[in-house]
Amino acid sequence: MTDENRNAPRVKTVRVDRDVNAAPRERAAELRQEWTRRGTLVINVLSSPGAGKTSLLEATARHWQGRHTMQVLVGDLETDRDAQRLAPWAPSVQLTTGGACHLALPLVEQGLRELPDEECEFLFIENVGNLVCPASHDLGEHLRVLLLSTTEGDDKPGKYPKAFRTSQMLVISKTDLLPYVPFSVEAACADARLIQPGLECVAVCARTGDGVADWCEALVRRRGQMLAEGAADAARP
Amino acid sequence: MHETSIVRRLIAMVADQADRSGEGRVSVVRVEVGALSGVEPMLVQLAYDQLVPGSRLDGSRLEMELVPLRARCENCGVFEVPQFRFACPKCSHPKTVVVSGEEFRLVSFDQVSDVVTMPGEVQK
Repeated sequence: MTDENRNAPRVKTVRVDRDVNAAPRERAAELRQEWTRRGTLVINVLSSPGAGKTSLLEATARHWQGRHTMQVLVGDLETDRDAQRLAPWAPSVQLTTGGACHLALPLVEQGLRELPDEECEFLFIENVGNLVCPASHDLGEHLRVLLLSTTEGDDKPGKYPKAFRTSQMLVISKTDLLPYVPFSVEAACADARLIQPGLECVAVCARTGDGVADWCEALVRRRGQMLAEGAADAARP
Repeated sequence: MHETSIVRRLIAMVADQADRSGEGRVSVVRVEVGALSGVEPMLVQLAYDQLVPGSRLDGSRLEMELVPLRARCENCGVFEVPQFRFACPKCSHPKTVVVSGEEFRLVSFDQVSDVVTMPGEVQK
């Protein structure tokens, strides 16, 4: 051995080959299984700010009153305004991210501990208003719903591919404004389906109640599917 | 910008593995960033440069390989997804399966041992 390489640093390459998001994804999958076992359909609601997430959840709770049980975790950067709005209708816990642009699992799990431990068929997680960052975070939901209001423009799906690609349902909101805005429900749904071909589309107006029954029925049907799949999984040896 | 929290996780993963494999410092970290990973390479680099100083990975360099978004059509095989339009460009089949481009994967890292050899010691 020469003196030259005697003191040379040794470099070794350590292979890892693991997705950086693998750990939170595994935790989300565990939570999802637990919700399935309990019979609770978990719905992660995404939209830009002001698209009407809270209004839709208020309308949903009104529509279901006395027939179905629901709880809400609602995320915002600051204030508990949304939880206060929802509180008369359903047990609700406000999650304040303190500036973070999305909900992450630890905050959601903290919120879950604050919700009453009672039967619940539907748990809504109202995400922070943002079509970018929330798309990358699996919160253990069974169903990701993207809310797009008619005032935002029907060309949005192509601009936010990850959010649309990872959603299973698109809700077009504020349909009462359709006569006043250049928005085509068909064009928005068609654009979204280029990104996510199987996307289910529903049009609602939370203010007038138009379409709310369709939306609620779609959720009941999804919960039925979740229960059937859960039972099939449980029956597997 | 959620890249900061994701890069923090990357750094923790590398630090943990590096501690387990020895005392040497980390010189290079290699990741694959998919086109639909949900993280922006430029912001990943920015977050890395901000978070690494003073950490277990101090002095290391990040190497990113960009992974294009590819999907498989059951009729026509694998194709590169143009403009996030997932239907098969050949036969227009709507249901295709993504095969790459959604990952943000820690592939490997280099660890350096600054070896000081005592006179007479035989180095392997």
